[in-house]
Amino acid sequence: MKYIFLLVIACFSITLKGQNNAIAAGEKLTYTAAYNMSGILTNLAEVTMETSELKTSKATLLRLKCTAATYSKWDNFFKIRDLYESYVNPNTLTPYLYKRDINEGSYSKAMKYTFSHKTKTVKSVQTKKNRPEENKTVSIGSGTKDIVSTLYNIRLLDYDDMAIGDRKTFTIIFDRKEMKGQITYLGYETIDTAIGEKECYKLAIGSDQTDVLQGNNNNILWLTADGNKIPVYGKFKIPVGNGELKIKSATGLLN
Amino acid sequence: MKKATTILAIITSFLAIILSVLPVSNLAIFPAIAALVFGLIAFYFSKKSGHVKKIIQFTFLLTIIALSITIYKAIFTTIEVADTETLEAKENESEEEALKDLEDIDLEELEIGG
Repeated sequence: MKYIFLLVIACFSITLKGQNNAIAAGEKLTYTAAYNMSGILTNLAEVTMETSELKTSKATLLRLKCTAATYSKWDNFFKIRDLYESYVNPNTLTPYLYKRDINEGSYSKAMKYTFSHKTKTVKSVQTKKNRPEENKTVSIGSGTKDIVSTLYNIRLLDYDDMAIGDRKTFTIIFDRKEMKGQITYLGYETIDTAIGEKECYKLAIGSDQTDVLQGNNNNILWLTADGNKIPVYGKFKIPVGNGELKIKSATGLLN
Repeated sequence: MKKATTILAIITSFLAIILSVLPVSNLAIFPAIAALVFGLIAFYFSKKSGHVKKIIQFTFLLTIIALSITIYKAIFTTIEVADTETLEAKENESEEEALKDLEDIDLEELEIGG
């Protein structure tokens, strides 16, 4: 599931400073994650991406929440209940706080990043089962974001201004390390999805971490070519095989 | 040939029945098809020699059961996420904790509207 998330992440992260005109609070996207077993795609888990408002005494933030949960028939074999969150500026989607809580089989881990954009550092707290809490401060670049916020940030790019083959690079912090990724714009494509036939932007996703995403143009993502730019379909190849992410439902869209 | 195909039919039909009762039941289709093919070959050679062993018919029975279970599960089993209470509780708890953490963070640097 880590790989699926990394794929999704890598699928989406981008360094940009655009204004948010695609994502609003109250949006909920639901996906089915399927894995290729001996040539047969098997539905493994449900992935949701949800947004909501969070009011503090100083400001109103946008909470970006992603969850992954295995379907009940797999729970006895390998139960996954993962929670990823990012609390961001609603206008620019710049993250302040990132939280990750994963429960996969007998493995569990929690991670918290507190961003300080002034000092370009991230204060991290890692908690693992039967291990002491680990605190570490990591220096980051000016455009570095967490997985979840970069995942949403990709939707702020203006693909109409891009030519086929154009590339964008991005930096994300994952497991307290910065990693580089890139997307390549491959043009338009119309595909059938559970929410209807959609004209989409087709993007190839790459990463400098060869152990995460493998091959060139093996990891493809389709974003709707409308104001919402929601990811509707993704194909990925990871070290343990290949699979896909298909949209099931989309509600609360801004445009 | 007869002996080899009979053994292969037995192995693949057992594999099909095992896979059919697991969550990966759709994978049972491959050994089930193989079991049918090997079973038919074994049946053909046995008939040619004048004596059809009961074990060949038994592999057909196992294969049919495996295919029935696989098809039944493919049609009638709904895929759903269960046992989400812990995750939902964790989501709420995490939001409350985040609210506390965010109160301590200097948000003004990003000029957010209140």
